[in-house]
Amino acid sequence: MPVFKVPFNGYSVKFSPFYESQLAVATAQNFGILGNGRLHVLQLSPSPANPGQPISEISSFDTADGVYDCCWSESHDSLIVAAVADGSVKLYDLSLPPTANPIRSLQEHTREVHSVDYNVVRKDSFLSSSWDDTVKLWTVDRPSSVRTFKEHAYCVYSTAWNPRHADVFASASGDCTARIWDVREPASTMILPAHEFEILSCDWNKYDDCVIATASVDKSIKVWDVRSFRVPVAVLNGHGYAVRKVKFSPHRGSVIASCSYDMTVCLWDYMVEDALIGRYDHHTEFTVGVDMSVLVEGLLASTGWDELVYVWQHGMDPRAP
Amino acid sequence: MAMRELVSGGAACATSGSSSSSNPLGSLANALLGSSSKTQERLREIPTSTAIPSDGSASVGTGEPLSGLPGSELDHPLQPNAQGSEFLRGFRSADQHGLADVWDDIQRPQVNFPPEHMLRQPDTNGPPQRVLSSFLHSFVNSSHGGIPFCPATLPVLGLSAGDKQCIRDRSSIMARHFFADKSEDFINAQVNALLSSLEIDNDIRAPGPAFKRYKELEKYWHETHGMRPGPNPADGWVAEFAQHPVGHGDPSTWVQSFEQEHGANGWASEFEHEHAQLASMDHIRGATMPHLAAMEQTRMLANTLAQNNDPKFQNSKFFQFVSKMSRGEITVEDNQIKPATLSAPGDWATEYQQQYSGGQTWADQFVHEELSKGPNGWVDEFASERGHVDDGWVNEFSKLHVNDWAEEFGRQVGEGTFGDSSADNWASAYDEYLNEQTALKQQSESSRGVYVFSDLNPYVGHPNPLKEGQELFRKGLLSEAVLALEAEVLKNPDNAEGWRLLGIAHAENDDDQQAIAAMMRAQEVDPTNLEVLLALGVSHTNELEQAAALKYLYSWLSHHPKYGTVVPPNQPDSLYYGDVATYFSDAARMSPDDADVHIVLGVLYNLSREYDKAIESFQTALKLKPRDYSLWNKLGATQANSVQSADAILAYQQALDLKPNYVRAWANMGISYANQGMYEESIRYYVRALAMNPKADNAWQYLRISLSCASRNDMLEACDSRNLDFLQKEFPL
Repeated sequence: MPVFKVPFNGYSVKFSPFYESQLAVATAQNFGILGNGRLHVLQLSPSPANPGQPISEISSFDTADGVYDCCWSESHDSLIVAAVADGSVKLYDLSLPPTANPIRSLQEHTREVHSVDYNVVRKDSFLSSSWDDTVKLWTVDRPSSVRTFKEHAYCVYSTAWNPRHADVFASASGDCTARIWDVREPASTMILPAHEFEILSCDWNKYDDCVIATASVDKSIKVWDVRSFRVPVAVLNGHGYAVRKVKFSPHRGSVIASCSYDMTVCLWDYMVEDALIGRYDHHTEFTVGVDMSVLVEGLLASTGWDELVYVWQHGMDPRAP
Repeated sequence: MAMRELVSGGAACATSGSSSSSNPLGSLANALLGSSSKTQERLREIPTSTAIPSDGSASVGTGEPLSGLPGSELDHPLQPNAQGSEFLRGFRSADQHGLADVWDDIQRPQVNFPPEHMLRQPDTNGPPQRVLSSFLHSFVNSSHGGIPFCPATLPVLGLSAGDKQCIRDRSSIMARHFFADKSEDFINAQVNALLSSLEIDNDIRAPGPAFKRYKELEKYWHETHGMRPGPNPADGWVAEFAQHPVGHGDPSTWVQSFEQEHGANGWASEFEHEHAQLASMDHIRGATMPHLAAMEQTRMLANTLAQNNDPKFQNSKFFQFVSKMSRGEITVEDNQIKPATLSAPGDWATEYQQQYSGGQTWADQFVHEELSKGPNGWVDEFASERGHVDDGWVNEFSKLHVNDWAEEFGRQVGEGTFGDSSADNWASAYDEYLNEQTALKQQSESSRGVYVFSDLNPYVGHPNPLKEGQELFRKGLLSEAVLALEAEVLKNPDNAEGWRLLGIAHAENDDDQQAIAAMMRAQEVDPTNLEVLLALGVSHTNELEQAAALKYLYSWLSHHPKYGTVVPPNQPDSLYYGDVATYFSDAARMSPDDADVHIVLGVLYNLSREYDKAIESFQTALKLKPRDYSLWNKLGATQANSVQSADAILAYQQALDLKPNYVRAWANMGISYANQGMYEESIRYYVRALAMNPKADNAWQYLRISLSCASRNDMLEACDSRNLDFLQKEFPL
């Protein structure tokens, strides 16, 4: 299956919601500790003309600091939002020449921006979360943030919009809590002390808008029902190191993909007893980015600090030629 | 440390292990522009496109009306007169005009959204990446087995204070993810090992006991939160923190006040001042921060102690403080001048100076704060930094003169020959020392890059060191020339020519730190010297300090007798790349036969990474000045940056034919060979360069990298111990 080498350490990979063959990859030099960054847009080209290169690069954009995350616009197929370690959120338009990009650079966060997430319901707004402990809400038409959510006491590592409700999102923070927010409310609507250790990622179940998964430095993934949050619905153990990202399948309500500092990508079904349904150890360094295609069921992509991007079908060996 | 790039050919520019890096923008532009028609076509399809897989989430919602989000900070909904609605209308009218046009429209309000590349270059090099990269790699790898991290000794990397800040903050945060199983002590030890071997002052070391308290507080904090699942944590310090993000009388953190300023400025003015702000952001992240933070820290501690009537508040403050400390946001910075890493204090000083003269609001605020803070740490620190010099001087003086003088005096008085000459000698010797001392002081007070003189200088006392220096320089004995010229500027600190030549000698000797420091001094003495201004412009281009580079290049033009008329009489507050490039293009049209103008144009195009144009400019200049070896070197460096390392080698060869002792060109040759993967070759060139100037620290780093890449680990020890004889025998050229 396709593999692509990027010059820097991979940080995040996202399938385009518009084209099944496009994906964006956020990368940072020196593990994001120091140096530049680059946002790649890749094309899975099955064209027989170039069989040796299953993935080709459509475009790439350089930044002065590492790119920690990226997300595609849900409203326009060429718009990508990037989370940059210098505290900026940058918007790129693939249809414009590189000299015109980024079309926006939103500089409000005072520290590294660690994640961005595009609103799938309203399709006009997105969130950024940062090591400055805040989450900011932006709309594409405004030059400054619409709102700043400042409650977390430590780095906010990720946010995820609720798949059904345009105003609801969850945030995961190093202060060991996940929080649920309604952008219309002045404060967070729920504080979920989900783990004993830092929480690095969270995501909503795409089929049940009350179910959320959190991934933590404690190596576990926990699935919660926000209506009864005292006990987790499921605890998924199996990763050997901190779990870096967690992502619900867009196709099956109970399937979760995760990636970890143990260099693996795991697939889980939290409804069944032996929850671990797939384990891929194709990366040779920390695996920090994973995504599941909305358009092709079972298509997975991952990236890691080994500077490789893999795209494969669930059940196949990512490294198979 | 970007300074290698232009002058020295930019190996540092190559990103680790990749072949596609050196000129990403150039090739990218080609790739994209080449296929632009296709892109356009695809774009026009989109608004009506049904080709998109029908997955529900894939609809292109361009016409969706937007209402203001309730609860927004700007509590009025989006009005059509809002500036952003242009953008939206553009979206809605997409069907009629085609999206490409719409996006062009969006581009139109350039004042608001200038393309970012005008403002800040994505600097593809930064610090010497390969060295650093492998080093960080071993740090990260140490987490795999939980092995204590034993760093190898590193060459001097010349990391800027901002880089150090980044490394410190990010590695502290990330280490807590990797080492989840390990104790806090272990994590701190790992991070400390990393930081101290990079010579980064580590604040985590300092608050040992504080960290324990932090853990307690953390526990306390979790408990309170565990009991408070409700939606209203308004009584907690968290809320307090959230509700008063810019606390007024509060010792609001410095970062917050910056944020406040940002907010207050509004979007439009923010972009007008983007230059300045980006610069100041850099400075914030850079060197000034630790000092401000250090002051902040003491202030907060004092505050905490003063308000012990409310334990909760006190705790929260303290927690905030310690948690920030653990993230390196607050630093116990004790930046001592270390001879090996002059960059840190030097840069800081320079940056501070630039900030100050830039007259930016926050700088004023800082100064104001600093003044109001009274016994500012800065001055103390300065004093302590200079302390050893004073001591040295006192000792030396007392040793050399006072005793001698006393004896002499006694003897002479005894002999009755007390009189003019001896007293004069003493007085003049004393004066000389005083002058020297004042010169040193002025120099550091001027806060420019600090020039470091050699310890033992046989040319001190030479009757005409300038002439000697010029002669040595002409002969290509650069290290000797440096000594002679140092003697000259010690004797005549106001000799601009001496400083200038010294700067050039250092640059050709591949020692940029010193070159810049010397050029700064030359410019101080003679602010309108065109050659100095050009050299400074080049240096700052290498540093990717665009604003500074533009300033000097602009000054070059405005002070030039021929082109002074091209530029507006009053220098604008902020220079834009486009304007300056236009002025120079005008100048080039005025007199197409002036090689200097083409050289500056070449430098400018390097600044904007238009390497093809830069190469063209340098080639034009070379037609006019074919025997300018530094020009050949510039051409080579630009070609190397533009991934034409093979051509670059030819250019460097030209430079070396003209000036066989041109250390920089030798080193650059090595870099170009290394870029082509010919490591064995590159080693020979590095060794050659080092044989001529063993002080070229960067060349030592490059040599080390090439040795590892060529699997010559057996020679690493010789490299680390700087055993040149051995290396020369092993790698003859």
